Amino acid sequence: MALDELTRDPVSSVRQVLFTEQQIHERISALATEISRDYAGREPILIGVLKGVFVFMADLARRLTIPLEIDFMAVSSYSGATRDRGMVRIIKDLDCSITGRDVLFVEDVVDTGLTLNYLLRNLRSRGPASIEVCALFDKPGRRLIGLPIAYRGFKIPDKFIVGYGLDHREHHRNLPYVGLLKPDQLHPERDSGQAG
Amino acid sequence: MTEPKQRNVKFVHPIEEAFVKILNFYGIAWEYEPKTFALSRDENGVITEAFTPDFFLPEQNMFIELTTLRPQLIRHKNRKLRRIKELYPEVNIKLLKRSDLRDLMIKYEMYDLAEPITGTAAQAASAQQSQQVASADAALEEPDVPEQKDEQ
Repeated sequence: MALDELTRDPVSSVRQVLFTEQQIHERISALATEISRDYAGREPILIGVLKGVFVFMADLARRLTIPLEIDFMAVSSYSGATRDRGMVRIIKDLDCSITGRDVLFVEDVVDTGLTLNYLLRNLRSRGPASIEVCALFDKPGRRLIGLPIAYRGFKIPDKFIVGYGLDHREHHRNLPYVGLLKPDQLHPERDSGQAG
Repeated sequence: MTEPKQRNVKFVHPIEEAFVKILNFYGIAWEYEPKTFALSRDENGVITEAFTPDFFLPEQNMFIELTTLRPQLIRHKNRKLRRIKELYPEVNIKLLKRSDLRDLMIKYEMYDLAEPITGTAAQAASAQQSQQVASADAALEEPDVPEQKDEQ
């Protein structure tokens, strides 16, 4: 099978399932119970950064038993042409104000912490009542900037993972589980980093 | 926030400059080699061994040392980092190893910098750099230091 064909075949591209659909859902249910308890009596706004977070956000939000709002942002990353523009750019900003609101920042995966640190600083400048971070996957081995993660799904090794919203060249986001790609799927000159 | 860009800094290695560009992009304040730690002194109190981490990130209160040396060639650097942790336990210092830097360069699509620390061509450059570091260290280091296993 040609490499290009393999890349587009989600099942045959994965060499190892790290977390099954059931394991992910059980962990998210536990996180949701914890968050619902901690935010009882409040109405937080859940904020996610596109694209990788969309699956996690949907499953987490549906398990929360508190009233809430949801909003999304999109930012440029330090790659390609964007690096010449100097600094991170917010491609899509929030639609609502977070001033005085309790913010729960929902992330699919945290590695270096650079983007998350930038966004948290940006959001804090808008005067929210509180900000906490909920990350489904955490790669602490790659952390450059220390960040407090209040709600963590799984600590994972420094491996490139796909599925459950996470992509490889925009593919595999629709896998219901999270796995490692086969070696011939990964191009070492391009695929070390994990973007959400 | 501290101004994230230091002006007129001469970096020793291109990877340091690349690292700074990433920090600047994400608005991380940094200082280049702002502090030297004394690691040992002679009977007159004169410093005989010292270490200057490459960067200090004031908002994180963290020093960062970069190395493109292969793991088997960073014995001197690892020993000094262990010594800093012994003498200055309050200091937060992180070593970004060759593999960390390679991954960082690839993550941010800086392939021209990743390549020299990825392929076989890097070995000769690393060995040469190692010899230079070892020579510089030898002028300061005490003799008969027992060899210690590198941190992985």
